[in-house]
Amino acid sequence: MTQEAVVLNETIHQSTRLRIMSMLVSQPETDRLAYGFIQKVLDLTGGNLTTHLRKLEDAGYLFIAKEFHNSKPRTWVRATPEGRRAFAEYLANLDKALNHRWSIPTHS
Amino acid sequence: MGTTDGGTAALTPEEGWSTIHDTLDRTRSSIYMAGASKILILWGVIVSLGYFWQYGYQTMANDFFADRPWIPLPVWIALGIGGIAGSGIIGHRATSRLAPGVDIRRAGIRVGLFWLAVVTASFLIPGAAGLWNAELAARIPHVVVGVIGLGYVLFGIIFRPALAIVGLGIAASFYLPSYLAGDAAPAMAGAATLLVAGAGWAWIRKNEVA
Repeated sequence: MTQEAVVLNETIHQSTRLRIMSMLVSQPETDRLAYGFIQKVLDLTGGNLTTHLRKLEDAGYLFIAKEFHNSKPRTWVRATPEGRRAFAEYLANLDKALNHRWSIPTHS
Repeated sequence: MGTTDGGTAALTPEEGWSTIHDTLDRTRSSIYMAGASKILILWGVIVSLGYFWQYGYQTMANDFFADRPWIPLPVWIALGIGGIAGSGIIGHRATSRLAPGVDIRRAGIRVGLFWLAVVTASFLIPGAAGLWNAELAARIPHVVVGVIGLGYVLFGIIFRPALAIVGLGIAASFYLPSYLAGDAAPAMAGAATLLVAGAGWAWIRKNEVA
């Protein structure tokens, strides 16, 4: 039984980045999340979150906007359409990877 | 199959699925908890004010209020309206600050409707039980506090179990003094409610988003 190798998107298939992308794509396309909200929900340090956001931004998967509200800086993050497409493809491949693993016969 | 950059261990596909599900669950419940710490302390203060006011009039002007047994009702209604308005403002500000958008607006409406149903039930149940009369009115707070406490327990079971404990604490803050503390019951209930709300506030501030 031959099976096609499943390749998972390495930019997304990393614990922190997978959690960031999961948060962002679970929101409607027009919605954005505050940097502080992501940091608290995922329990990350600022440096760690910034590093992973930058990697996802470089891949074109998310958009970061900095604004001032009542003289206080605010950073907002939103998944781009390309990021949503990549995540959907990642999910499909993850599903394939799981099904392949379950269908592999055991050898005694 | 996975990647190890950033010094983290590679994910298996199973861990990938599990990570996605955990994150979605935590994001959703965090959105529903937005502003919860401030709202909890607001209600702690409001309910304690009501208890302290009740203690004050019972000890200092009991004769005056004995002829006017209806006075506590508008006072509690005014406090309740203030609390509902304050909760709405806090909830709106918290969601705008954290994650403004369609999804969170829907969540805010659901939370608002949940508590509206709880508060409405807390008034309707005493009515259905025939307590809305001068003779039995003193029993009304026992039902109201029980229903509100149940609201916290249900909300906590769905989103954060710690809130269920806060609900039990709020109910105990009223019931224990009312059966054990005699005339000092309202004052003790006020102090205990503030304590429970303060502990809940501290826990949420430490562990939650807002």
